[in-house]
Amino acid sequence: MHLSLNEDQTQILDFIDSLAKPFAGVPLHDTSFALTSDELDGALVENGFLDVAAMPELGAVTAALVVEKLARLPFAVEAAASALVRPLLDPDLPRPLCLVQEGQLRKPVRFLKPGATVVVVGNGKVRSFTATDDIIRGAGEEVLYAYPMAYLTGIPAETRAHDVAADTVLRAWRVALAAEAAGLLAAALQSVTNYVSERKQFGRPLATFQALRHRLAEAQVVTNGVYWLAMRAAGTADPADAAMAALHAQEAAKRVGYDYHQFLGAMGMTLEHPLHLWTYRLKALTSELGGRGEQALAAADALWG
Amino acid sequence: MDFEWTEEQAAFRARLQAFLAQNLPDDWEAFSKHGPASPALTEFARGFCRRLAENGMLFPHWPKEIGGEGLGPWEQQILAEVMWEWGEPRGGQYMNVNWIGPTLVKYGTDAQKAKYLPQISSGEMLWCQGFSEPDSGSDLASLRTRATLDGDVYRVNGQKIWTSYAGLADTCFLLTRTSDDRKKGITILLVPMDTPGITVRQIPSLIGEGDIHEVFFDDVVVPVGQRFGEEGQAWEIINYSLTNERLGIPRYHLARAALDRAVAMLKDAGDFTREAVRIEAGRCAALCEAARTANYAIVQKRVDGLGVGAESSSARFATVMAERAVCEFVVEFVPEALAGGSAYLQMHHQRGIVAGVAAGAAEIQLNIIASDVLQLPREPR
Repeated sequence: MHLSLNEDQTQILDFIDSLAKPFAGVPLHDTSFALTSDELDGALVENGFLDVAAMPELGAVTAALVVEKLARLPFAVEAAASALVRPLLDPDLPRPLCLVQEGQLRKPVRFLKPGATVVVVGNGKVRSFTATDDIIRGAGEEVLYAYPMAYLTGIPAETRAHDVAADTVLRAWRVALAAEAAGLLAAALQSVTNYVSERKQFGRPLATFQALRHRLAEAQVVTNGVYWLAMRAAGTADPADAAMAALHAQEAAKRVGYDYHQFLGAMGMTLEHPLHLWTYRLKALTSELGGRGEQALAAADALWG
Repeated sequence: MDFEWTEEQAAFRARLQAFLAQNLPDDWEAFSKHGPASPALTEFARGFCRRLAENGMLFPHWPKEIGGEGLGPWEQQILAEVMWEWGEPRGGQYMNVNWIGPTLVKYGTDAQKAKYLPQISSGEMLWCQGFSEPDSGSDLASLRTRATLDGDVYRVNGQKIWTSYAGLADTCFLLTRTSDDRKKGITILLVPMDTPGITVRQIPSLIGEGDIHEVFFDDVVVPVGQRFGEEGQAWEIINYSLTNERLGIPRYHLARAALDRAVAMLKDAGDFTREAVRIEAGRCAALCEAARTANYAIVQKRVDGLGVGAESSSARFATVMAERAVCEFVVEFVPEALAGGSAYLQMHHQRGIVAGVAAGAAEIQLNIIASDVLQLPREPR
């Protein structure tokens, strides 16, 4: 048992910090619902940050650390699936990677666009294909989640079968979800604590009122839990650990979502404040893999049969 | 980061498990319903801790200079987990080895070390902790039990409450007020519990018979040589002690063990096929494991020689969440467990209620997290 970052991990996270510095803030006057950057994406790919899981000396925990770190940025990056699921299939699959469950085409898909690799998991199988214009329906301005999203209208007749168990991919997907959620939760919490520490009412910062302090402290507890469960699940590759990490992540997302916006008062309803960039991504993650109940059932299956 | 135990750590845990399986009496599970601070378990612990000591299992994490094996914080945590999982057969002596011993080594006089360390090492000695008072619970620094210097003795007058082990303890680690300075006016005295003027009264409780007490001090005479540290040094000393104790009891581990037991009972009854039950069980497991990993992150800080800091309050609160969830799970789905159906789950339930209260109320942990982890501006006082 050793839970400190090793030297490689510290270096990689520091490097990401400096690389991501230009993307650490929201561009002035930008009120996009979802914020993305091709430049940031390109820099991450170029520096190999999304490929660390495949390197034996780094591995899945480092990949999870990278995903967590990137999720804190206001810019949405497709890192989780690429860094944690792609190595199990084919490390050269074109990005972004879009994960969908068999029979769930009614749901919007994160990062879906022409050229993306869609990975379909279900019925004990894993298959993939490259998305093309004709099977993508844009969701336009309707999307209330802070990711670029679109609908898949069908699955091509020709898909590539991957020689990997569906359960293995589901496990990695859960780790990816938890690691990304951990970063989103941490960034959202930071954003709210900053605001309530400065905003004064009744002559003192909002953060001095215990009604907020205790709920924020509880949010810190669950955020910390999601972080550690995600890292452990990445490290052990255990299906129960992965299910518990994803479950705790989705529970935490549900717990904080409304509180955080409420604590910001009317400012929490604006696009001027960037909080939604994290919380509305958490909302999207809430429905992945069938939601909390399904993760809990997966945990129970793995733990007790 | 590496989330696997080393071979040595796994072997250490297995050795402890085997020792307990072999050395605890056959009716141990029913017996363990007596809380760790009950007279029955306290008496049992005196003999049992001596056997642990003889086998190098009472304080393996102590430095070799004072008779330990020099094992690290991970082993201390493993030891605590295994003992607590078995219903804490050490009774109150877990305190001795967790923090009283190390605190004696750091702050005790030579005479105090010579007197108490062998007693602790023998596995025969029991301490109680005279901290809380009727008007000083979460606000501990407001305590009023007065120690007045009179020549070469202190005269102690006042009252303590919620004192575990007081009924059978040999010595009280007593916080007293020697001046009006809120924190710097508090002084520690080591007081033999058979000193004239001490009256102990049991408080009937939900957590087991004989676990908590009131202790009255009526002109109790304590020689100056029994002062621990300097006058006014108590706050510094107990803060040091708490760094050894903050992680405290690994309640997340017993909660998880209790959950596994509850699931086993549900399976036997054919009820673990229901999704409503399985979902809730999964949720409880996640809370237990979240608490476990949060606690392990603090153990790592100790391994790295860092202060455990305010994050330990976060780990503590996570543990409270896990304890509550598992207790609620049992009440909801295995109600028979708390009516004679399972000694183990009854033991867990009685102890579970303590999680959010003992060693600093859960709300105090939240205050600490808000101020020192989240760095929020403090509340006006």
